[in-house]
Amino acid sequence: MAAAAGYFANLWRIGGLGPAQAPDAVTAILGSALTTLDGDPQTLAGFRGRVLIINYWATWCAPCREEIPLFVRLQREYGDKGVQFVGIAVDQADKVRDFAKEFQINYPLLIAGVEAVELSRQAGNKAGVLPYTLMLDRSGRIAASLVGGISEQRMRGELAPLL
Amino acid sequence: MILRWLAILFLLCAGAACAAEPKLLEPEKAFVFSARLAGPDTIEVRYAIARGYYMYRDKFRFTLEPAALARGAPQLPPGKIKKDEFFGATEVYRDEVRITLPISRDGQPERAVLTAVSQGCADVGVCYVPVEQKTELRLASTGSAAGDSGFGDDALSRLFSAPRAAVPSTGPAPAQGDDTLIAQLFHGEAWLLIISFFGFGLLLSFTPCVLPMVPILSGIIVGRGHKLTRAHGLLLSGIYVLGMAITYALAGVAAGLSGALLSAALQNPWVLGAFAAVFVVLALSMFGFYELQLPAALQSRLAGASSQLHGGHFAGVFAMGVLSALIVGPCVAAPLAGALLYISQSGNAVLGGTALFAMALGMGVPLLAVGASAGAVLPKVGPWMETVKRFFGVMLLAVAIYLVSPVIPVAVQMLAWAALLILTAIHLRAIDPLPPAARGFVRFSKGVGVIALVAGIAFLVGALSGGRDVLQPLSGLRGSAAEPGAPAPGVAFQRVASLAELDAAIAAAAGKTVMLDFYADWCVSCKEMERYTFTDSGVQARLAGMVKIQADVTAGTAEHQELLRRFRLFGPPGIVFFDPAGREIQGLRVIGFQPADKFVAVLDQALGVR
Repeated sequence: MAAAAGYFANLWRIGGLGPAQAPDAVTAILGSALTTLDGDPQTLAGFRGRVLIINYWATWCAPCREEIPLFVRLQREYGDKGVQFVGIAVDQADKVRDFAKEFQINYPLLIAGVEAVELSRQAGNKAGVLPYTLMLDRSGRIAASLVGGISEQRMRGELAPLL
Repeated sequence: MILRWLAILFLLCAGAACAAEPKLLEPEKAFVFSARLAGPDTIEVRYAIARGYYMYRDKFRFTLEPAALARGAPQLPPGKIKKDEFFGATEVYRDEVRITLPISRDGQPERAVLTAVSQGCADVGVCYVPVEQKTELRLASTGSAAGDSGFGDDALSRLFSAPRAAVPSTGPAPAQGDDTLIAQLFHGEAWLLIISFFGFGLLLSFTPCVLPMVPILSGIIVGRGHKLTRAHGLLLSGIYVLGMAITYALAGVAAGLSGALLSAALQNPWVLGAFAAVFVVLALSMFGFYELQLPAALQSRLAGASSQLHGGHFAGVFAMGVLSALIVGPCVAAPLAGALLYISQSGNAVLGGTALFAMALGMGVPLLAVGASAGAVLPKVGPWMETVKRFFGVMLLAVAIYLVSPVIPVAVQMLAWAALLILTAIHLRAIDPLPPAARGFVRFSKGVGVIALVAGIAFLVGALSGGRDVLQPLSGLRGSAAEPGAPAPGVAFQRVASLAELDAAIAAAAGKTVMLDFYADWCVSCKEMERYTFTDSGVQARLAGMVKIQADVTAGTAEHQELLRRFRLFGPPGIVFFDPAGREIQGLRVIGFQPADKFVAVLDQALGVR
């Protein structure tokens, strides 16, 4: 238990501590050009007004894969309370599609290049790594900036005040 | 002492969650890329991988400009097997990897641009996006001689420009030196360092070098004459030790400050090499090859000055302590210099001062005993003091190897450890016969010697047999048990790769129920089925009566596509059953992972269809 707590505390620490207030970064992230799995252009702008949880990941990234089932469960649980998960995969669309099918991912997945991760550095992902999860409240402010894998307890703790 | 402490911290950091890991490195610092012309027709690419980070073997991509240069596939050394809960065994590199790219020099272009794409992760549980790095290589100047093994030692072929990461850093740069190997050692608990230095000092006090201090101190105490009480003696020797300790502390602060300047250079192989050389020089002096001392003239002047001081006043005793440190300092020069160098690498003046202060207090413990006993107790000189000295010598050599370990090949590092351990063992008389009347200590030291000998041999054998893991020197001898792709126990599938093969297999299985399993290496639930479901005894019992066919569609060839299309499957996972007549049992497909109990029910149903 203590080891796990320390582990997550450590990840929290390396994440650059806390919700940096970088409204420009949020604007840039929400406006950045992404593509759907079918190759159509899309941005995140349409999700404004919801509690938006943006998860940067990839299928080749083992720590990223491990937390996907949690996101799927939370999306099912909180979807009707205005919570929206979005996965931004730095990956190939076909691999993401396979993976999404297997894990029955129930939230939108978009494809991005490394520049999306670059952009996330401004929001708090200082080293530019995966997985990285950015939580925005309904007004688009950064509520949490989480580098590395997230425990369920922590995720629920971060979500609760935003509902 | 220090080394054990080093080892402890090293082990902590090698583990998954290094509590001392300060922050994540930028990818180009976690995976330091360089490339050079290694021969007339090969380019060697090297990645120096920070501790706690690893790179995927199958994710490297290299492109050369002009493209005509490329000749054949890059030669990647075997990696270490990393177990992945979902994807099974993946091969990864740690510490360092050297990849050979064959090139064709037919066109004789003068320059080539190498673009390398790599992917890696950190043990703390994050991965980096693919990093693209470019370097320009000049090809013209290496017509004849192939480059030699070290990097940066062949002026003609060492022509790589600074690697430029495709991912520019926009965040604040990490503090200088934070990412150096040695600096990482100091993110541990400071008190551990301080206690280590105290113990280090205590050990130092048992070298012959501290003996000159005893007469000085005795002189002070005896100089007080008959009125001296034990408490007074202790107080005087305490002040004396304090004087000495503060002098050392100042030296520690100076070392820490200079380290702050040095730390930027500490990843440079030359700087590390120079430090290691100094440690070797110091070690040799501990083995008695020569003596390191202040010039005799200076020493005698200081000694003269100290005898001028009157011992009575506390200030005088204090000053005497300071002077003694200056006299005796050079006598314990080798380990002291080692300690100072070590401290200087922390770049932390406060820590350096405290550590050296603690060391001096450790050195002062016997002196305090002398004082408290009012001069009655004196340490006895003996050959065991030489043993302590040699012990320091071995430790200094070990630190030297440790220092250069990031910049030398693992094989060389293992050979160095082998040499050190075996020579130490011989020194401890590991293979000399024990006299029948040997006492406990002799037997003990022979035992330690034998352990060192065996460990040394293990390193030697490991290095020569291709083992490239300092923590598991013999891993090179391990069989292929850990090879990836081992089939799940119990379920032996007949493999098919095309429709024709499948039809033949189904035809051959006439009269039996057939299970067809679509599989791919990247398919997570296939792996899960293999691991959790197919291994179940109930599942296996039912499968025993079936013909098991597997279509491994990892490669995704046209024939694989055809197979999938026949069953209108997008891709694996997919399990299809056929009745004994060879017709698909409709409505019984299993798509995705199914736990053993559910799968058993499906199997029962399949077996029930006649």
